[in-house]
Amino acid sequence: MTGTTPTPREPDPLEFDQPRVSIRKPEHRFDSQGETPDASRVERAMNSFVRDFGRTAAVYMESCIHCGMCAEACHFYEVTQDPKYTPIWKLEPFKQAYKREYGPFAFVYRALNLKPKVTVDELQQWQHLLYDSCTVCGRCSLMCPMGIDIASLVSQARHGMFKAGLVPHELAAVTERARREGSPLGATPKVFADRCEWLSDEHEVEITIDKPRAEVLCAMSSIEIMKYPESVVATARIMRHVGADWTFRLDGYEATNFGLLTGDAAAQKELTLKIIHAAVACGASVVVLPECGHAYTALRWMGANMYGKPLPFKVMHIAEFLAEQVRAGKLRLRKLGKSATFHDPCQLVRRGGAIEAPREVLQALGVELREMYPTKGANWCCGGGGGVVAIHRADELRHKVFKIKMEQIEQTGAELPVTSCANCRQTFDDGQAHFKWDKTMHSLLELVADNLVEAEP
Amino acid sequence: MSLLDFARGPALQWSLGIFVVGVLWRLLGVLLLRTRKDLSEPRRDAAWKGLRLIALRSWPRKEFLGGTAFGEVLGYAFHIGFLLALFFYVPHVLFFADIARGLFGTDLHGLTGLNWPTLPNGVVTLLSAISIAALVAVLIHRIVSPVKRLISNFDDYFSWLVTIAPLATGMAAFAHLGGWPYERLLAVHLLSAELLLVWFPFGKLMHAFTIFVERGSTGMLFERKGASL
Amino acid sequence: MSSPLLGEFLRSRGVTRRDFLQFCTTTAALMGLSPALLPRVAAALEQARRPSVIWLPFQECTGCTESITRAHGSTLESLIFQGISLDYQHTLQAAAGEAAERARETAMQENWGRYLLIVDGSIPTGNKGFSTVAGRDNLSLLQHVAGGAAAIVALGSCAAFGGIPGANPNPTGAVAVSAVVKDKPIINVSGCPPIPVVITGVLTQYLTFGKLPELDALGRPRSFYGQTIHDRCYRRPFYERGQFADSFDDEGARQGWCLYKLGCRGPTTHNACATVKWNDGTSFPIEAGHGCIGCAEPGFWDKGGFYQPLSTGQWGSARTLGMAVGVGTALGVASAALARKRQKDAEDA
Repeated sequence: MTGTTPTPREPDPLEFDQPRVSIRKPEHRFDSQGETPDASRVERAMNSFVRDFGRTAAVYMESCIHCGMCAEACHFYEVTQDPKYTPIWKLEPFKQAYKREYGPFAFVYRALNLKPKVTVDELQQWQHLLYDSCTVCGRCSLMCPMGIDIASLVSQARHGMFKAGLVPHELAAVTERARREGSPLGATPKVFADRCEWLSDEHEVEITIDKPRAEVLCAMSSIEIMKYPESVVATARIMRHVGADWTFRLDGYEATNFGLLTGDAAAQKELTLKIIHAAVACGASVVVLPECGHAYTALRWMGANMYGKPLPFKVMHIAEFLAEQVRAGKLRLRKLGKSATFHDPCQLVRRGGAIEAPREVLQALGVELREMYPTKGANWCCGGGGGVVAIHRADELRHKVFKIKMEQIEQTGAELPVTSCANCRQTFDDGQAHFKWDKTMHSLLELVADNLVEAEP
Repeated sequence: MSLLDFARGPALQWSLGIFVVGVLWRLLGVLLLRTRKDLSEPRRDAAWKGLRLIALRSWPRKEFLGGTAFGEVLGYAFHIGFLLALFFYVPHVLFFADIARGLFGTDLHGLTGLNWPTLPNGVVTLLSAISIAALVAVLIHRIVSPVKRLISNFDDYFSWLVTIAPLATGMAAFAHLGGWPYERLLAVHLLSAELLLVWFPFGKLMHAFTIFVERGSTGMLFERKGASL
Repeated sequence: MSSPLLGEFLRSRGVTRRDFLQFCTTTAALMGLSPALLPRVAAALEQARRPSVIWLPFQECTGCTESITRAHGSTLESLIFQGISLDYQHTLQAAAGEAAERARETAMQENWGRYLLIVDGSIPTGNKGFSTVAGRDNLSLLQHVAGGAAAIVALGSCAAFGGIPGANPNPTGAVAVSAVVKDKPIINVSGCPPIPVVITGVLTQYLTFGKLPELDALGRPRSFYGQTIHDRCYRRPFYERGQFADSFDDEGARQGWCLYKLGCRGPTTHNACATVKWNDGTSFPIEAGHGCIGCAEPGFWDKGGFYQPLSTGQWGSARTLGMAVGVGTALGVASAALARKRQKDAEDA
């Protein structure tokens, strides 16, 4: 790594669409935001890091025994065998900072300077490790013999990196864009409304928007709105099929939460509260989240904590909603009669706990489910989660990682690869194009919508 | 004062004191930190069932076994050897009984009527030898493996040293190695164990306590969400 | 005591060839010599010149002398012992006063540089009047006689390590021979008293090979002090099984279980008691039901009570431990409070 700080290009905060592949050196270019002096970047990172610390994270920090086994769980290490991708190493500056600033012996460490102060150089270098090469998939958390939830620590470290203004440009840009425009990828309320209108005409399906009162509030992810609009149609079809009293709301349709991925806690809260307020406004008893892994984490598991009290509604991932409809006998599906394999989105399955729901839905579709190895909680991540798919400079590494997925799927011999996360799907589409692979990832939601058996009129 | 008198007098008292102070300091310093109540609706109400992770994580899931079995086996070898030698070697048992008598006026037998079982010396010697061999292998692995080398720091090497030292000096004392008088060997053995006690709270050896807290809290967090353990 | 050769001398005392070889075998075995060396030992002993020996008793109790001269009154060892030309031993010799001192001076002059010096008792370095012989203080006498000695045998724990006179608070400033004489080979034959056969064994080796035995770190012949009592104790299996006598009159004591818990110093004491035994091989303290007190080791009086188990550490009281708990808790609470305060500051910032 470079010892000096190269003058980072300061792109327009909203510029995102142009891949900036021209800068190749240093090997791992880092981005920075704002004009903050180095020293105060470090201080901000540490303050933020310190502020977030609770008992559990502190216990985690206290007792890594440096066994290195987490490396075996990480796809970035698996494909590169580069020790720097050892998950716990990705936290090294923060571990050091914890011991120096916050642990029980902090003043001893400070007094004797046993753990040197973290430098801005280090934080810059670690940007690559904390963002480009970590999908927060939590596979390492499943391996750690000490039981350290390493992934949660990475999220915490990202808060510090954000405060320091040391976030990969794409993530900073989309987060800022989400705050300013209501959507990270340009799916502003107006765009969304237009799309819905157009989709409604095109597919001859009623897409309910801004119904004053509704039982079910649906949300979409911006990837779906912009790239996979069929998912919006599919959602509407299914809702009508099961006879749900449902709506989209223009003040809370966007479930994507780049605040969570970037480490921008304020943005995360702001984006989460939009949906919560929208759901409260229409008196919804259920919020159905789209096929998006981190959206699930953001609202299902972190939403109430952002809100400051328990949510007055149930939060479900669309796969869970579908499984519930299957169980209630409300979904009438054509049997596919094909073989399929399910790619487990990390945030939904491993970390989210919705392990069986998507499989129940696949069962109802009459597919022969061929599990990958490993599968369910231990399945390999697609390599694009945690914001990685948005970071252009990480493409090369991400493609390497993707090979694991291709191999896994090939080994099942299944005809249909299916998942339930638009981010995974986007990663698969990109991987497919890059490797000219003949397998296309399918959306569980769309698969269900395409095989609805409508009652005879 | 002879070395042995020092080792089992002031050195023992101080090391035990430092151990107690350090362990409480570090444990309470962490456990008394604030926690935020998780307001999300649990998928499973009996989060305490996640405590099973304490046992579960004692062996890796089969998916991870390939790359980690070597380390796991070595780890078990030296942990088991060390702990059995520590708690079931006859003189150690007498030593602990003496602590109990010194502190509570009676030993385990007096308290419970139970006899602390012991292992024959031959078995303890074998266990110690296995433990030492495993520790040497662990050190080599730490130096040779790029991952472990990268993430290792002073703590790792020093903790290794203070762990193998009592084993090695204990074996030396038992076998009267080195032509030294037994008292000196015994004193060095005691001092090495005391070094372990002194270092214990400040380095990674603390995992002996924190491992249960960590696995337990992660287990409960994950169980609450129904996530994979 | 006419003949200068040991063999002739023994025969003149009625020792048969058979008895002599028996002695050689036993002694060779004790010294750890190969049986192949036996003829050489016998031949060498037969032809050995009876060396001049000067024995200086200082601060001692005559226990060592008793052990050597009385315990095995009629055995070969004592004859061997008599076989040396003991030219001065003021406790034993008939001559006294100036005559005795003259005999010593004569022996010294005649054998200057060749005689063997045996010392029992420790040497006071405090007031010179604490211990004198014929008006001469021990320290100067030792320095004088040691000057012409080929080697010195420090007999008993007092001469070897200071012993009882050297025990805390050591009012006479008693020291071992090795603290005074630095330029002569010294063999420490420790024990309170030492085993007679150990002395004759050392003498035999000296007579046979003309050189001193191999010594351990404390200057003791390795052949006799190389192993601990514990190593060779017949009660060792009980130790291995964890069967201990808890008092001198319990069932364990009656069953002959290990005396470790009753303070036996066997594991830390190097001597041959467990193999050679005492009183013509009759018994030794552990066999008689009492733990070893470690008398062959330096400072054995000052190592705590004889009935305190060896493993015993001097633990603090429950009160000191309680203090440690208090301090640890206070520090833990304080550091957590400090960390919480830092969090609050960071939040406000």
